[in-house]
Amino acid sequence: MPNNKVEPGFTRYLTPEGQLHTPLPAWADDFNLLTRLYRHMVLTRVFDQKAVALQRTGRIGTYAPTLGQEAIGVAIGSLMRSEDVLIPYYRDTAVQLMRGVRMEEILLYWGGDERGSDYAEPAVAEDFPLCVPIATQALHACGVASAFKIRGEHRVAVTTCGDGATSKGDFLEALNVAGAWQLPIVFVINNNQWAISVPRRIQCGAPTLAQKAIGAGFHGEQVDGNDILAVYDRMQIALERTRQGKGPVLLECLSYRLGDHTTADDATRYRAAEEVKQAWQEEPVKRLQAFLAAQGVWDEGRELALIAECQGLVQQAVTAFDNAGTQSAESVIDHVYAKWPAALAEQREWFLERAQRHAGGEDHGQ
Amino acid sequence: MKYFKLPDLGEGLQEAEIVEWHVKAGDTVKADQRLVSVETAKAIVDIPAPYDGVISKLYGADGDILHVGEPLLAFEGEGDAGTVVGRLEGGGGSEDDRFFIGAAPSTREHLVTRATPGVRQLARQLGVDLASLNGSGEAGLVTRADVEGAAQAARDRFGGEKLRGVRRSMALNMARAHAEVVPVTIFGDADLHRWGQARDPLIRLGKAMAAACAVEPVLNSWFDGKSLSIRQHQQLDLGIAVDTPDGLFVPVLRDVGQRDPEDLKAGMSRLRADLKARSIPPGEMMGATLTLSNFGTLFGRYANPIVVPPQVAIVGAGSIRDEPVALNGEVVVHPILPLSLTFDHRAVTGGEAARFFKAMVEALEKPE
Amino acid sequence: MANDKVTLLEAVNLALHRAMAEDENVLVLGEDVGVNGGVFRATQGLRDAFGFKRVIDTPLAETMLGGLVVGMAAQGLKPVLEIQFMGFIYAAMEHLVSHASRMRNRTRGRITCPMVLRTPMGAGIRAPEHHSESTEALFAHIPGLRVVIPSSPARAYGLLLAAIDDPDPVIFLEPTRLYRMNPQPLADDGKRLPLDSCFTLREGSDITLISWGASVHETLQAAQALAEQGVSAEVIDVACIKPLDLDTLEASVRKTGRCVIVHEAPRSCGVGAEIAASLYERAWLDLQAPIQRVTAPDIPPPLYRLESLYIPGVDDILHACNSVVHFA
Repeated sequence: MPNNKVEPGFTRYLTPEGQLHTPLPAWADDFNLLTRLYRHMVLTRVFDQKAVALQRTGRIGTYAPTLGQEAIGVAIGSLMRSEDVLIPYYRDTAVQLMRGVRMEEILLYWGGDERGSDYAEPAVAEDFPLCVPIATQALHACGVASAFKIRGEHRVAVTTCGDGATSKGDFLEALNVAGAWQLPIVFVINNNQWAISVPRRIQCGAPTLAQKAIGAGFHGEQVDGNDILAVYDRMQIALERTRQGKGPVLLECLSYRLGDHTTADDATRYRAAEEVKQAWQEEPVKRLQAFLAAQGVWDEGRELALIAECQGLVQQAVTAFDNAGTQSAESVIDHVYAKWPAALAEQREWFLERAQRHAGGEDHGQ
Repeated sequence: MKYFKLPDLGEGLQEAEIVEWHVKAGDTVKADQRLVSVETAKAIVDIPAPYDGVISKLYGADGDILHVGEPLLAFEGEGDAGTVVGRLEGGGGSEDDRFFIGAAPSTREHLVTRATPGVRQLARQLGVDLASLNGSGEAGLVTRADVEGAAQAARDRFGGEKLRGVRRSMALNMARAHAEVVPVTIFGDADLHRWGQARDPLIRLGKAMAAACAVEPVLNSWFDGKSLSIRQHQQLDLGIAVDTPDGLFVPVLRDVGQRDPEDLKAGMSRLRADLKARSIPPGEMMGATLTLSNFGTLFGRYANPIVVPPQVAIVGAGSIRDEPVALNGEVVVHPILPLSLTFDHRAVTGGEAARFFKAMVEALEKPE
Repeated sequence: MANDKVTLLEAVNLALHRAMAEDENVLVLGEDVGVNGGVFRATQGLRDAFGFKRVIDTPLAETMLGGLVVGMAAQGLKPVLEIQFMGFIYAAMEHLVSHASRMRNRTRGRITCPMVLRTPMGAGIRAPEHHSESTEALFAHIPGLRVVIPSSPARAYGLLLAAIDDPDPVIFLEPTRLYRMNPQPLADDGKRLPLDSCFTLREGSDITLISWGASVHETLQAAQALAEQGVSAEVIDVACIKPLDLDTLEASVRKTGRCVIVHEAPRSCGVGAEIAASLYERAWLDLQAPIQRVTAPDIPPPLYRLESLYIPGVDDILHACNSVVHFA
């Protein structure tokens, strides 16, 4: 039998300790950029942990933490243009924040309020909301990319998913149509090694997830998802290529889910403390911090100031969230159709009357 | 096992070194009790217990470095939330889960006769018991024909000769009157010793009733039980019960109060003649405002005659006979006319009836 | 050409041509819709008229198609997706139920889904297995969707144009059996029909016959037979299955006091059940007899040899009418 073995490329610039693994690309000379990237990762982490704390105190509902995967979202979010469109999955706090979704909107979404998906920021008006049915977003992204292509626009659809999602028919059908139609789309896989309790090794028989692109006729590669310089570099190239109409790209980012699957999950049930401990050694924030410190552009003073600044921003967002109140009863019914059908007018009356009889609404959270 | 993980230590700090444990496996701790001291990049921090519990296991020895989110220790007890989203409420009373397979026994026993509302109503009217019928309609539905057939069968079982004409009317009218009227009867006597020659009391009775109407006009009224309204009449049109071989007829002698006795007598003769000839126009039998039943021409003393709506009263006159009466302390024999007044207590009070009666008797007891 | 007779299929084609000509955002996609003009020729001529960018032959992947149109519609295109047969729609259901029907609501109107999904439905064309589905009830149950089933060329034309206009997702089910039957004159005048109305096809006073899809054909025949027996039947084509125009149905049933509902879909939990329950709620005092439903039994459609045992026929409808007219 002929040998089918393929080896998609793998990119890493920094070792886990933040030292040079491979010579840096030219753009990485810009320490302002690197510092900005670092800042965004820290802000993401501070906000992410606040979200977890809010869930623990019953002020928002189930939340999917991003702990340990900040590099991926910050990198792709910072590279996308405002006219590009993000079609995320549900563990995408980092990229949402980079795109311009407000922190209080993220809290509203997980806090059980649809206004969290009605982004105020015009720059993200066309970004999709988070997606729960696994991998279905990949097909929506293909639809978005199709629209770009049909209209001749130089815009890119960027869609994210986890390692588990790549097993799903929707994902494979998305790759297929993207390849068949050479769509302007970048698929970013956050391979954090775990699909709830199912480890990567039993999720798929292929040695890499990146090589699924080959079956669909386009380019796929792996990148160290804990190395923001690597993610940034490869994503930049992927976006440029795709934007030029050279077809889709699949970027598999190797990371680790340092937190639980969600705030309701307990990962200690199915994975060893040793493994998690080891993964902490490779995490992205400390890695970049070490590199920046070694270059002399970061120190404890700046770190403290940054933490304080981030905490302030997060607190502002929490206050805004607390002040958001509750949606009206009408809002529950009036957005189902462009205009609530006359045939169902009686239902609407009954519903609103019933809502009035209910004592107040539910507080957000729980 | 409930895991307690290293909580967010604030200020972006991600890891801490265990300096000293203050509890050990097996200890019972209270919320906020100091569990362990850890050293961060900034300071030594004490970590309190998040709730009451019993420690089952410690993770990490002195000197180990733990990261935020890693298990610090485990509490005994059911810690598994058993979900990855939301929160499943537990608790609640655990009662026996009892159930019937299929319908409850009372449902199975509930045999209802199926009939449309219209057919049910008909059955009620005809006095037919629905439950006793087998419905001939689909799925045992009781039909109109079923009900009518049952009613007819009930009638046929009785046999006998069907009433017609006047007798039939009497049956219907009496039943209706009985259903509507609330009858009360007063009995009394008229002492006719001043009359001189005993005469046919009919006309005298009529005139006496007219006199009584002047005293208590309410008894000369028509009453409608449905609308609860009453209509007084100005003149007395007296229905006079006449027994004929064809049955009971009640022709009406008009304006008894105003006409003189000769005229009334002649009128009455004409009515009797027309009745006998069976040529009486129906109009002559309608519109009575009061009725007199002079059954005394046949036999009897007192009675409870039937008030015929819309009238509110009827007078019954029995046979005149000589009776001993007390007069000035002595027993004498006088001709006595027994009288009965039945009135509809929906429209007439006892007082009104009694006064009417008294006035009638006073009029009767006069010489002429 | 204004009053040439056209079939339901040709009416669909005319409507698609017009919609695409009027709005450059409208595009047609599906398997075999482009070069081949669709397996039933519903999309004939569109590719020549509007080009390959707007009339797209897609890979064979109904799940993909369901998700693709969600993305396209979010971007302001108006995709008209053809699923080759209703039997293959189920792979796309997740996207219809979980996304298309909810996108407007869950983003509070920020992102919407103005898509149309067209597919042939129903039995009676001697097709192989899985080509005879009548599962409109599944979609009628989903909040946020519209479900439309035309039964004549004129209604197919007017309703399809309206469906393409509509800012919300529409499932447009075309009765395969009626595709080439009963051609009627049709003016290609672009006139839309309302998407929230029933259509009274025959006025009557003694009994209301309610139906949709291919069964309208048999229902009209039954009404004619009833007329010959002196029973005046009113025939209503529901057409807009969701949302349901209960006011029209109620008014008719109040007038006649008797009702028979005819649908090809299996009985249990069919749309007839919703209509019957609603009519009982609104008009039970006006009913002279229970409402009868004439439907297929609760079985998958048989292979075609015994299809006639499955599809409600004129005799079945007359039998039901008889029991209703002569009730108690």
